[in-house]
Amino acid sequence: MFTQFGATAESLSKASTMVFRIGTDAHLYDDPDDVNIAPLLDSKFDSEKCEALKRLLALIAQGFDVSNFFPQVVKNVASQSIEVKKLVYLYLLHYAEKRPNEALLSINYFQKDLGDTNPLVRAWALRTMAGIRLHVIAPLVLVAVSKCARDPSVYVRKCAANALPKVHDLRLEENTAAIEELVGFLLNDNSPGVIGAAAAAFASVCPTNLSLIGRNYRRLCETLPDVEEWGQIVLIGILLRYAIARHGLVKESIMLSSRDLENIASENGASDTYQKGNEDSNAYFGLKESNADLTNGVCKSEVVDIVSRSYLEGPDKYLSKHRCADVLSSELEGLHFTSAKDNEDIKILLLCTSPLLWSHNSAVVLAAAGVHWIMAPKEDIQKIVKPLLFLMRSSNSSKYVVLCNIQVFSKAVPSLFAPHFEDFFMSPSDSYQVKALKLEILSTIATESSISSIFQEFQDYVKDPDRKFAADTVAAIGLCAQQFPKVANTCLEGLLALASHESTYGDNAATDGEAIVLLQAIYSIKAIIGKDPSSNEKVIVHLIRSLESIRVPAARGMIIWMVGEYSDIGNVIPKVLPVVLKYLARCFTVEEVETKLQILNACGKVLLHSKEEELWAYRKVLSYMLDLARCDLNYDIRDRARFIKELLSCYIGSSDTEEGKAQQESRDVSRVLAGRIFGGQIKAPSSEQFSARFYLPGSLSHVVLHAAPGYEPLPRPCSLNFEDPSINSNIVEGAKRPGDGATQSESYTDDPDSVSGSLNEESTSDYSYADSIGGSDGTGGSNVSSSLSEVDVHKEPLIHLSEVGYPNANPDGGSHVDNQYSGSNNLGELISTRSLESWLDENPNSGHNLSEPSSIRKSSARISIGHIHGRVEPKICALLDPANGNGLSVDYAFSSELSSLSPLLVCLQVSFKNCSTEPMMNLQLVEDNKRQDSSDHASAMTESSSHGDVPSLVPMEEIANLGPSETINIMLQVRFRHHLLPLKLVLWCNGKTYPVKLRPDIGYFVRPLPMDIGVFSAKEAQLPGMFEYTRRCIFTDHIGELKKGDKPGTNDQFLVICECLAVKVLSNANFFLVSVDMPVSANLDDASGLRLRFSGELLSNSVPCLVTLVLEGTCFEPLNILVKVNCEETVFGLNLLNRIVNLLAEPARG
Amino acid sequence: MMQCIFLLSDSGEVMLEKQLTGHRVDRSICAWFWEQSIAQGDSFKFLCRVADVLSDYLGGLNEDLIKDNFVIVYELLDEMIDNGFPLTTEPNILREMIAPPNIVSKMLSVVTGTSSNVSNTLPVATASCVPWRKMDPKNTSNEVYVDLVEEMDAIISRDGTLVKCEIYGEVQVNSHLSGLPDLTLSFANASILNDVRFHPCVRLRPWESQQILSFVPPDGQFKLMSYRVKKLKNIPIYVKPQLSSDSGMCRISVLVGIKNDPRKPIDSITVEFQLPPCVLSANLTPNHGTVNILASKVLMFFDHTCSWSIGRLPKDKAPSLSGTLVLAAGLERLPVFPTFQVGFRVMGIALSGLQMDKLDFKNLPSRPYKGFRGLTRAGEYQVRS
Repeated sequence: MFTQFGATAESLSKASTMVFRIGTDAHLYDDPDDVNIAPLLDSKFDSEKCEALKRLLALIAQGFDVSNFFPQVVKNVASQSIEVKKLVYLYLLHYAEKRPNEALLSINYFQKDLGDTNPLVRAWALRTMAGIRLHVIAPLVLVAVSKCARDPSVYVRKCAANALPKVHDLRLEENTAAIEELVGFLLNDNSPGVIGAAAAAFASVCPTNLSLIGRNYRRLCETLPDVEEWGQIVLIGILLRYAIARHGLVKESIMLSSRDLENIASENGASDTYQKGNEDSNAYFGLKESNADLTNGVCKSEVVDIVSRSYLEGPDKYLSKHRCADVLSSELEGLHFTSAKDNEDIKILLLCTSPLLWSHNSAVVLAAAGVHWIMAPKEDIQKIVKPLLFLMRSSNSSKYVVLCNIQVFSKAVPSLFAPHFEDFFMSPSDSYQVKALKLEILSTIATESSISSIFQEFQDYVKDPDRKFAADTVAAIGLCAQQFPKVANTCLEGLLALASHESTYGDNAATDGEAIVLLQAIYSIKAIIGKDPSSNEKVIVHLIRSLESIRVPAARGMIIWMVGEYSDIGNVIPKVLPVVLKYLARCFTVEEVETKLQILNACGKVLLHSKEEELWAYRKVLSYMLDLARCDLNYDIRDRARFIKELLSCYIGSSDTEEGKAQQESRDVSRVLAGRIFGGQIKAPSSEQFSARFYLPGSLSHVVLHAAPGYEPLPRPCSLNFEDPSINSNIVEGAKRPGDGATQSESYTDDPDSVSGSLNEESTSDYSYADSIGGSDGTGGSNVSSSLSEVDVHKEPLIHLSEVGYPNANPDGGSHVDNQYSGSNNLGELISTRSLESWLDENPNSGHNLSEPSSIRKSSARISIGHIHGRVEPKICALLDPANGNGLSVDYAFSSELSSLSPLLVCLQVSFKNCSTEPMMNLQLVEDNKRQDSSDHASAMTESSSHGDVPSLVPMEEIANLGPSETINIMLQVRFRHHLLPLKLVLWCNGKTYPVKLRPDIGYFVRPLPMDIGVFSAKEAQLPGMFEYTRRCIFTDHIGELKKGDKPGTNDQFLVICECLAVKVLSNANFFLVSVDMPVSANLDDASGLRLRFSGELLSNSVPCLVTLVLEGTCFEPLNILVKVNCEETVFGLNLLNRIVNLLAEPARG
Repeated sequence: MMQCIFLLSDSGEVMLEKQLTGHRVDRSICAWFWEQSIAQGDSFKFLCRVADVLSDYLGGLNEDLIKDNFVIVYELLDEMIDNGFPLTTEPNILREMIAPPNIVSKMLSVVTGTSSNVSNTLPVATASCVPWRKMDPKNTSNEVYVDLVEEMDAIISRDGTLVKCEIYGEVQVNSHLSGLPDLTLSFANASILNDVRFHPCVRLRPWESQQILSFVPPDGQFKLMSYRVKKLKNIPIYVKPQLSSDSGMCRISVLVGIKNDPRKPIDSITVEFQLPPCVLSANLTPNHGTVNILASKVLMFFDHTCSWSIGRLPKDKAPSLSGTLVLAAGLERLPVFPTFQVGFRVMGIALSGLQMDKLDFKNLPSRPYKGFRGLTRAGEYQVRS
C-alpha cells in the first residue's frame, strides 16, 4: 500500500543496526585506514590520538603490519591521558621487538612513570618496560623490578613478580642470580596476591632452586587457600616438589604401596597385559591381580610401581631404562621415605590442600588431587574421588582432561572408583574421545557386583549411532568377559548375536562402521575363546557356520585362523573340517589377500594336526590350493605358497619314492620346523607391559601423552639437603640484603680485573688528543691499600710485552708498556653498590663489600698502543651513487674534527667525484625544505630545545665546476636532529636536484674527552646502576689479523688483538682511548681480562660517556666481548651500546 | 603458560590476535586448529574464564560484539594476562579498571566524542583480602535473593528402568547489600549433598566443621556453591518411545506423561532426538505441540534433529507423537536407535529436596529483604529407545 515506504524497509533495518551500533568501535574495526592515521597521531587532542591508536590496534588485530608508525606512536608515550598510554603500551608491546632502536626512546618515560604516584601508572610502566624484551635494557628492567618489588601497592608488587620471567626470558646469565634473589624476596611477601605471582615466577625462572621455598614453606602452605586460583595451581606444584625433594615419598602412600606387595607382584609378573592396541591376541586382564585386590583391597602394585617411577624419572627415561634392563629391583629401594603421620611438613601440605578440593576452579581441584594422590596415606586417598568425579560436570573439554587423570588413577587403584561406576555412563553430549575414555575406565573398575549393570549399559551402547564407539564397546565387553569368567558365556552369546545381526546386512549395507563393529565382535569372541577353547567348541562351530554370511575379509580371516588353531579340539570340529576345507578351497580365488593368507596357514595347521585317515584328503585340498596360490597375482601369496610347500613337503610329497639319507634328515628338520612354526604355543607378544606413559596428574603432558615443553618429573626424593650449612648461610645472607643481588650481578663481570686504581702514567701518543693529559695522576686513596698486595703480585711471572717504543712519532713504533702491576681494588663496585642502594632508598649497607677476599684482585699490566692512529680509517658511506646521479658520485665519512660553530654540529668529510666524461657545474648540498616531521618531534626527545636556532646544515659553498674524474673534498657541518633517523638533503648539480639522505652515526655524536685512568674510574663510579648498560658480542676480526701476522718478528698476540679492537672502535666513533689493560696472570693464549677503555663526551651537552670493553676467550678463537657504556643519557647510552656491539660484531671490511 | 590468544570468527578467520610472550606464534597456526577443532590443555580453564568475562562485558560473545568493542577486548586481555600468566581475573576488579560498554558511554562518545573506558585509578580491591568485593559499595536497595537452581540428569534405559538419576544444583545469590556484610547460610539437610564446590568467598573451615556457608558476598549475581545429589529415585515425567521396523519403514511413537507429580506445574517440556543418518525422510505428527526437524552441520556431519515442543502437559490427554521414518535403500530395519533428550522446567521447587534453613547477617545496619526460590530444569535427561 505504501510502496514508497516499502522500498526503504531494507535500508531502514540497515539504519537501525547502525543506530544500534553507534558509539561503538565497529567502524574503526571495519575501515581502520579510511582516514590518514599519521596526522591524528600528532594531534594535540587526546581523543584524536586515541582514535588513531584504536585504528592501529584494529589493523594489528587484522594481521597487518603497522610497525612503520612506530616513531610517531612512541612519542605519545609521554601523554598524560591514561587511555592513550594504555593504547600506546599495547602497540609498543606488539612491535617493540621489531623496532628495538625506536623502542629505546620510550625508556626514559617509563622510568619517569615508575616514580608516578598512581600505582596503576607504575604497574603499567613496569609491565610494558619488561614486556619490550630488549637485551640492552635488561639491567634497567631489573633495577626497576627490584624497586617495584618494594612498592607499597600490592598490584605493583604483583606486576613486579610477573616481570621477572620476562627478564629471565632474555637469557642473560649475568642476571640470573639477581632474578632468583628477587623471586625469593617476593615469595616472602605478605600479600597472597603477590605470592601467587611470585610462585609463577619461581616456576618459570628457577623451578629447581627449591631452597628458596624452604625458607617460607610453612607460611606458603598456610596462605595457599587465600592465594588466587591461578597462583594456587602453580604453588601447589611447587610445594609438592619441595616436600618430595626435602622429605621423600610418604611410606604409607599409594606410590610406595608396591613395596608391601613385592611378592605378589613377582608372583604374577606378566599378568598385566592390558593394552590399548588390539594386536595382542592373548590380552587378558590380570585375574590373579583381582585376587590380590580382594585380599589386599588396594591396588595393582605393578601399575603403581610404574606410575610412581614415571613420576619421579619421567616416562621416557623410565621406559628406555626399562627396555635395557629389568629394573624390578629398583633404586627406589635406596630412597628415603618419610611418614605422613609424623612429618609436620607433609601433614601441613595435605591439610592445606584438602579444602582446595572444593574449589570452583577445576585446575585447582586437579592439582590438589594430584598432591593427595602422591603424598596422602592410602586410607585418606578416598577424599579425592568425589571432587574429581564432580569435575566431570563442567565443560566437555575439562571433562576430557579429568578423565585422562582418572584413567591412570583407576588403573593403579581400581577399587578407588569402583563404587562410582555410574558416573562413567555415557551421556549423549559426550564427544567420542570422552566416551572412549569412559569405556576404558569402566572396564578397568568393573567388579563382580557391578559387572551386570555395566553390561546392561554396554548393550545399549552397542546400538549407538556412532559405530566407532559401538565397536569400542564391543572391545570393552570382550575385556570384561575375560576378566570375569562368570559372565563370559552371556557375553559370548551377546557377541554372537551381534555378529550374526551385523552380518545379515549383507554386502550392500555393510558400511565401514558396521564392518568395524563386526570385526571387533569377532575379535572379542576370539579373545574370549582363547582363554578356554575346549569349552567353547560350539561357539567356534557357530562362527564357522556364519562364514557364509560374513563378508568382511579381516573377520573372515580371523574365523579361518580359529579353524586352523582349534582344528583338533572337541568332537564336532574334526567332523566338519573336511567340509569347511572344501568350502574354503572353492572360494579361495574370490577371497581378499589377507583371507587367502589365513586360509593357507589354516590348511597347513590342519595338515599338521591331522590324523592318518584324513591326511590324504587334506593333502589333496592343500596342494590344490597351493597350485592356485602359485598363480596368484599377489606376490605375498605366491611367496607364502612356496614357503608352505617347502616346509610341508614331507606331508605333501608322496612318500613312496626312494630317498637318500640326507633327504631323510632334512625332512626331519623341516618336520620339527613346521611343528614349531605352526603348532607352537603362542605367547603373548608383550614382554614390555606398559607402553602407556604416565605423567604427573594435572599436567598438559599427561593429556597429550608426550612431554610438553617445560614438563619436569618430580625431583629426586630427599635430594634437597638442608643440613648443609652453606645453603643456610646463603639464604640468610640473601634474605638480609635483598636487592643486593641485582647490583652484584651487574658488576660482577668486572671482577677478574676490576678497576685498576694504580698510579699510572699514560704515555703520550700521536693520537691527536692525548697530548693534553700529560702525566696527571688520578689516583684515589684506594691505591694505598692496593699497594699492600703488590708484594706477592710481583712474584707472578712477568710477561714482557714489548720494547719501549717511541710513541710520539713512529708509525710502526710498537707499543709502550708500563710494567706497573697494581692490585686493583673494588672501589668501583663498592661505590656502585652503595649509590644504587641509595637510589633504591635502602639503608646503605656500608661494610659488606670491604671484606671481599683478596683473591679477586688480579694484577694487570697496562699497554699503550701508540701507532694506531695511522690505521684509523673512518668508514665511508655513499651519499649518491653514480648510477643515480648521472655519473656524480658523492661519498661521506664522519670526521673526528670538531665544529667551531656550534657543539651540536657534526663534521663530515664529503667527497664529490665526477665519474662521467662531462664537466659538472654548480654542485651544492642544501637542506630539504619539507623536512620529515618525524625527525622534528624526535628532536624534542634527544636534544634540548634551546639549540633550536642551529640550522641542520651549515651552508656549503658551491662547487662551481667539477671536471671529469676530478675529486673535490669538502668539510660539511651538519646537525642531526636525531641519533638514528636520517637527515634529508637535496643535492644540486647542473641545475637538477637529487634527494639524498645522510645517515647519522651515533659514534660521532661525541667528542673525545681525554682523561687518565684515575679520572675514568672515578667517573665510572659516579655512573652506576641505571646509567650503566652492558651487552655481549662476539669479535672475530683479530683472527684474520693474527694469521696475517704469522711472519717472524711480529707483535705479541695481545697487541694485535688490542690494536684490532681499538682501530675498529676509533674508526667508527670519535672516542679517546684511555687505557688498555691486560691481566698478567693470564696464559699466553688466554685473552680473557683484556680491557680497553674509551672516553668521550656528548656533543650536545658535554655529558661524559664512558665505554669499556672486556674480553673473554683465547687468542685464536672468536672473542666474547662485554661492552659496557656508562652515560647519564639513557637513550643515548643504549643506542651507543647497540652501535658499538653492532660494529664489533660485523666482520672487518675488505 | 600461554603464548598467545587468537579470537576467531564463526568462519575461522582471525579476528583478534594478542601475543603474550616473546615467542611469537604465527597466526597461520589457527587454520590448523580450526581444521582439527580440538581445544585441550592446561590453560583451558583460563580460556573459559576469558570467554566468561568477555561475554559478561559484551553481553554475549559473537563476531559483531567483538568488532564493536575490540579495543575493550584488547584492554581486557592485557589486564587479564601478563606474559602468559593470569593477572587479574576477578570480574569486579576488572569492571572497575575498564568500564564495560553501556548505553550511557556510547551516547557520551557520540555526543562529545570523548570517553574513556580506562579508569584512572587502581581499584582498591586489588589490595583487599576480599578481592571479589568492591570496597564499600552503596546500594539503594537492601536485599538478597538466594536461588536454588537445579538440573536433573537422568538415564532411562531401553527397557524403561531408571539407570541413574542425580541432580546438579547451584546456589545462586543476588546480593545488593551495602558495606561489608557477613552472611551465614545453613541447610536443613546438608547431609544429602554428595559433592560440593564453592565460590572463593566461602570460608572453608566452617563448612568442614558444621556444614555452614559463611561468606562475604560479592555485589550482584554470583554462584555461591554448586552441589550434586546422587541416587535419586523419582523422576517427574516419563517418555516412552517405541520403534518398530518393517521392510524399509520404521514406525515410531512417543508417549509423554507425568510419573511422580512434583505438585508444581511442569512447563517447557521438549523432546529431542537425532534421526540416524540412514533415515531418508520422516513423517511425524503430534497430537499436542509442534514438531520441527532441524538440520545442523557439526564437524562435517549433517545432523537432523527432531524436536517436539510440548510446553505444558494438557489435562485431558497424554501427548503423543507418531509417524514413520523411511530408511535408506537396502535397509530392512533401523540398525541404530536414537536417544531422546527431554527438557522440562519446574518452577518453585528444588527436586533434590535440599532445603535452606536460615540466612543470618552480621555487620549490616538494617535487616535486608531476603528472598528464596527454587527451580529445577532437566539437565542431561535422556531416554534410550
